[in-house]
Amino acid sequence: MDNTVVISTPPHVKSKRTTRRIMIDVVIALIPCAVMGIVYFGWRAAVTEIVSVLSCVASEFVYFFIANKGFSNKCANAAAVCKRWLKQFDFSSVVTGVILAMVLPSEVPWYAVLLGGIFAIALVKMLFGGTGKNLVAPSTAARVFMFLSFSAVMTSYSEPILGAIFPAEDLIQSSATSLSGLLNIKSEIYSQPTALMNVLDLFLGTGVAGCIGETSKAAIILGYIYLVARNVIKWWQPVLYLVVFGFFAVFMSGFGYLAGGSGYKFDMALFLPHIFSGGVAFASVFMFTDYVTSPKGAAAQAVFLVTAAVLTAVLRYFTGMEVVSFIVLLMNLLVPLFDKYLMRKPFGYKKQKKQKEAKQ
Amino acid sequence: MKAKKAKFYFGGIHPHDRKALSACAATETLPLPEILAISTQQSLGKPAEPVVAAGQCVKEGEIIARANGPVSSDVFASASGTVTEIKEETGANGSKETFIFIKTDGNGEKAFFPPLSSPSAEEIKERIKNCGIVGLGGAGFPTAVKVAPRTPVDTLIINGAECEPYLTCDYRLMLEKTDETVRGARYIAKALGVDNIIIGIEANNPDCIAAFEKNDIQPVILKRKYPMGGEKQLIYVTTGRKVGIGKLPADVGAVVQNVATCFAVCEAVELGKPLYERIITVSGKAIKSPKNLWVKVGTQIKDIINFCGGENFTPKKVVQGGPMTGVALGSYDHYTHKTTSGILLMTADEAAAEEPTPCLNCGKCADVCPMRLMPMNTAFYASAGDMDAAAKYGNTAACIECGACEYICPAKRPLIQAIRKTKAYLRDKNKRGDK
Repeated sequence: MDNTVVISTPPHVKSKRTTRRIMIDVVIALIPCAVMGIVYFGWRAAVTEIVSVLSCVASEFVYFFIANKGFSNKCANAAAVCKRWLKQFDFSSVVTGVILAMVLPSEVPWYAVLLGGIFAIALVKMLFGGTGKNLVAPSTAARVFMFLSFSAVMTSYSEPILGAIFPAEDLIQSSATSLSGLLNIKSEIYSQPTALMNVLDLFLGTGVAGCIGETSKAAIILGYIYLVARNVIKWWQPVLYLVVFGFFAVFMSGFGYLAGGSGYKFDMALFLPHIFSGGVAFASVFMFTDYVTSPKGAAAQAVFLVTAAVLTAVLRYFTGMEVVSFIVLLMNLLVPLFDKYLMRKPFGYKKQKKQKEAKQ
Repeated sequence: MKAKKAKFYFGGIHPHDRKALSACAATETLPLPEILAISTQQSLGKPAEPVVAAGQCVKEGEIIARANGPVSSDVFASASGTVTEIKEETGANGSKETFIFIKTDGNGEKAFFPPLSSPSAEEIKERIKNCGIVGLGGAGFPTAVKVAPRTPVDTLIINGAECEPYLTCDYRLMLEKTDETVRGARYIAKALGVDNIIIGIEANNPDCIAAFEKNDIQPVILKRKYPMGGEKQLIYVTTGRKVGIGKLPADVGAVVQNVATCFAVCEAVELGKPLYERIITVSGKAIKSPKNLWVKVGTQIKDIINFCGGENFTPKKVVQGGPMTGVALGSYDHYTHKTTSGILLMTADEAAAEEPTPCLNCGKCADVCPMRLMPMNTAFYASAGDMDAAAKYGNTAACIECGACEYICPAKRPLIQAIRKTKAYLRDKNKRGDK
């Protein structure tokens, strides 16, 4: 035996899965959404996606280059720094870039996307310590930043190239108009009130004006299946969020009926339109399941998701806007509370507690 | 008895078990080495006190160090020969141990206890104590203490779940020495005064299950998962009882014994043979011919490696014990103990030696934790130096150090190291007695 053996604490075998592999899996899961975005919204969507990813990766590299010690030395041996950067590159900035592109309307100008990418990586992620240390999801924070900075363009959703299979005119006009009022979603957010649309159209994203990656629920479901199959996310997380959100949104819509003078009505016909409209489906699969910014332990995660779902439904009703990204940010900031107060009890804990009480 | 299915247990991991390397190798006996170095630290608790002096002749099975305190066990000469010296050396885990060096003479003169036929409970307990039997599953807790529980027990659980990857020593023992193991289990049951004997065997060993079904003890088929052989896990899946934190299995009326311990008890009772020999699995892709060997306690690892044909490839890691909980060795100059269950020579392909990357908070460590702890919190606070928070938010005191968290960690964080550091801090704190 020569002296090349490694001495460490156990375990001496480890799983082959690495952070990089997980991030690549997420990128793969996002491919259907990205492709459908280009199919529906054309070359502008492709530009947004490319600019977003490049901007995120480049900001990470520049930050890595500048922020580490010995900046002047590094300029001299840039090749070595590049090598080091590549070695630690874990694709998380690619994930951020793709997700950011997915939640933007295709009409957003390229310079805004570039700024968004820099904001996401440099300010939200790297300033707080890089991968795993960010307080909020970088892509969501960047979206909100862009929403506030470029509100005009961020709220003008363009029509997709592919029109609706079942145009809204075919639906019975009377009930449709009342539904749009009930949903209380302003037309500038959705150029077409989503409740006016057929569920199949909403599912496929045909004829739905919206963000690049959020309209095609079919693509999102493909990504969801891949992530679950690769054991990246837990299957129940998006399901729990969407089901709770759906029921609560239906419950809130009942008040819309009440305000409309037709009395409170728990209309389950609105269930699918609610969860298929806007960005909730995308957020449930790709945003609320983000490792860094969600609580740890199944119980804390479940409560976290239910709280997020209820808040989304309520705020959506009262604001008439797509509020999912704000909810994601808000919930991200609450994560430490969930972690602290909903920390699970170890195996055998209850027994001990009971015995203590018995003694007293 | 017909085998039953075990209860479901949460968490756990499914590592590549690589048992096929050595599973088919029938046990062989290692030729007597020239020099044996027997550590006085063969069990938990204080090391034993040497009772021989340099130059003294000893017989096989003669006591050479006497137990020191209640949680300690006697140590015996593994072969006849002459004691050459008694000196302190660095043991496999890095701590100082006292070794008794014996130059073997190959006479094979034995000094056993008289065999017992139809012994009483007291006689069995006495014999277990006298033969220095310790738990051979890995922890090395003296069996004599375990068979004298303070609370009444009603179930004896035999641990046949060899859930560690690579290791096949218990598997071979269960196959080759089924009757002796069953008899040993009955002796222990008699000492405890219980009738209910359960043996937990993993589902991937159907031949073992079939062998034990022929006897009157209850086999339970365990799901193939690591760590099903953990004491608390095994008790839960076989009986549905939960052992509280900081409690002993006896508090829920159960005692767990490893199959190898049962075999040792059988030999101690029927032959009067003290514990100085056991099966060791020599495996890994870097060893030429993986084997299951009967090895005397105190054999130098170099001798074992040479007997197995030496290195095939350059090993990346040399592990004493199982790959999940064993000790990584820096050289072949160490000596085996009563608790050594395996010697593994792992190639770079098998052994993990990656650099850690930042924690993602993915929570996979918590998902697989068989004790429902929060290893990521322990690691986080321990690396920041806040040991009290590490213990509080990670529930570290309840950790069984199975290593499942670190196995699954995609960032390859050194979680077990952080946990051990925190536990050492807690031990120190308890010693000081402050709050």
